[in-house]
Amino acid sequence: MKINDSLPLEYRTEENSNKIFGFWLFLGAEIALFSTLFAVYLTLWNRTGSGPTGKELFELNGVIWETFLLLTSSFTCGLGIHAMRLNLKKPMIVFFVLTLLMGLGFLGIEITEFVNYVHEGATLQTSAFLSSLFVLLGTHGLHVTMGILWGAGILIQVGRQGFTDETANKSFIFSLYWHFLDVVWIFIFSFVYMKGLM
Amino acid sequence: MARLFPIRHVIGYIFSLILSVVGLGVVFWDLNPTAGLWILIVCALIQASLQLVLFMHIGETDNKKSLYFNIAYALFVGLVTIFGTLFTMLWGW
Repeated sequence: MKINDSLPLEYRTEENSNKIFGFWLFLGAEIALFSTLFAVYLTLWNRTGSGPTGKELFELNGVIWETFLLLTSSFTCGLGIHAMRLNLKKPMIVFFVLTLLMGLGFLGIEITEFVNYVHEGATLQTSAFLSSLFVLLGTHGLHVTMGILWGAGILIQVGRQGFTDETANKSFIFSLYWHFLDVVWIFIFSFVYMKGLM
Repeated sequence: MARLFPIRHVIGYIFSLILSVVGLGVVFWDLNPTAGLWILIVCALIQASLQLVLFMHIGETDNKKSLYFNIAYALFVGLVTIFGTLFTMLWGW
């Protein structure tokens, strides 16, 4: 096996750098996926029928907290990878645990928000606006949920095995995914919430 | 302790927070919708680029050209999807 020591651990074998490259291709497909959902939302956002409009529905407080938690979790996730490259296991685990906890906090707020919407009579079936909103936010939220489970699995492996070619590679790929979810959230924050409340 | 917080990451984080606050501003400043929308577009694009470059290290390997091309192609497909939809469904073309 060819090993290139000049690269960070997660890239060193050819298989691993291919996996990272492959994951970037996957993120390209994710961009296309979220673009279709944004296209639907931006087409239907003022088709509110007899249901509430975004301006009546959105609560700024929850959105600010969601944004703050996800931004900060993306930051700590990056710090975790930095610590991994310094071969510091404990700080890396601490940063990743913080990342996942903030992800859970984000999910908690989003689920509360959905429950509140439904209690106010704003369900998936109420209007075209709400259908497209729930599908867009739900797809992002589902990605965060999967990310938390995936990240927790990787943390267990890092805890047991330390940094190996494999665990370092998995952790780095997870970090790409997590940063990408933050990028998607930036667009949701801007073009769903801020645009809706403007 | 300091070496756990590399300057690039800290700067990226601070700028992300600032750009989010500017984005929030469009709700409070009572701008006209076109100006507000442009502020949102510019802030979102800068913030997404910060994530790609400072946090995801898109430019750190030898195949960075392929990565840039991949993201550019995905953005092209995404923008055609979004604006193509808006052209036909909303703007009456």
